[in-house]
Amino acid sequence: MTTEPTADPDPVLARLAGLAPRDVPDLTDRLFDGWLTTDSLIGPVLVASTREGVTFLRASAELPDDGFMARQEFQEAYRRRFGRPLRPVVDLPEGLEAALHGDAAATPRLDLRGLTDFQRDVLAATRTIPAGETRPYAWVAAEIGRPGAVRAAGTVLATNPVPLLIPCHRVVPSHGDIGRYIFGTPAKRRLLAAVGAAAAGPTSRGGTAR
Amino acid sequence: MSTPTAAEARVAVADPDAERVAAALARDLDDGFAELVRTYQGLVYAVALRTTGHRADAEDLAAEALLRAYRSLADHLADERGDAWLRALAPRPWLLTIVVNVRRNQVRDAARRPRTDGATPPDAPVPGPSVEEHAEHREATEHHAGLLARLPETQRTAVVLRHVTDLPLAEVAEVLGCPVGTAKSHVSRGLARLRALVDDTGGPR
Repeated sequence: MTTEPTADPDPVLARLAGLAPRDVPDLTDRLFDGWLTTDSLIGPVLVASTREGVTFLRASAELPDDGFMARQEFQEAYRRRFGRPLRPVVDLPEGLEAALHGDAAATPRLDLRGLTDFQRDVLAATRTIPAGETRPYAWVAAEIGRPGAVRAAGTVLATNPVPLLIPCHRVVPSHGDIGRYIFGTPAKRRLLAAVGAAAAGPTSRGGTAR
Repeated sequence: MSTPTAAEARVAVADPDAERVAAALARDLDDGFAELVRTYQGLVYAVALRTTGHRADAEDLAAEALLRAYRSLADHLADERGDAWLRALAPRPWLLTIVVNVRRNQVRDAARRPRTDGATPPDAPVPGPSVEEHAEHREATEHHAGLLARLPETQRTAVVLRHVTDLPLAEVAEVLGCPVGTAKSHVSRGLARLRALVDDTGGPR
């Protein structure tokens, strides 16, 4: 493969070979985000997180083949959205389980670094809506100082990376039914009913924000 | 440059891990990528360390290159010709090509935006806090790493690939994107220059 002289030990070549590092850091922790399944008010969910916090949450399809397809779909969605690999982890991020079962005091850390400022603002405003209350989409847009961006705010909430943890189910249309939800309207109704919010429409304060 | 050639077929044979890693990637991208990282991160880090000269920079470069590799794998495997692409892939030179390209872009960007904070430019290795190495060995290592840093980029890369990480010449050529003969001449010119620098500077025995 090489025609370098090999008869005598060459001090320069020996020194070069010695430049290969002997202590190599394990980059796995840095490259991989973790995923696990756990239970929630709407049933089993798949949750991904980094060391900074939870990045992504989706309902598990509960397929019969041991959840394999659900896991693969989740990984593919994560790959498209974040461009990062996932590996299974065991430890739940602190406060996650309580938050997923409706404990308003539990606020697990979230990692929303991949979002735009607008997306982050919409989600931050939504996170301030107390349990048991709802707000119209227009309230969210007004709250972040972009009263004209009602539809855009709705789009952000429709693709909320961490539903349940950021309660996008508490944002509803100004008139009519409770509106759409990332996990379907019945789940939205169940979630709102679970904490006693009026499931029929927005009746709480803020309902006239626009 | 990336059309499968006889040279690439030889490359695949020269790497004992290539088949196992490619098979793991074909089964499951994320699990396979974990296998790829386990297999090649030492090599990727070694090339990163000896082209940047700094441990922290090397770790950043290695992580960035591996993430780019992951995204490229995801793009290729989402395509209907992904399986054929993966069968033709020689993971080792492919990964190192990404490392070298990411590094080249970093250097180019740094040159466009010169640092004005008086910090050491990224190409000049400073004595690192490598306390885990014996002092004597460290002195010699830093001396030679410093001399290596004075080679022109292509010669330096060629010498690192061939003589620090012991890569076969065919794969050095693959990474540099040139014929084997040209790669060989980059290596020998780099070595000749390095020997001259060693003679000039004396250095630790």
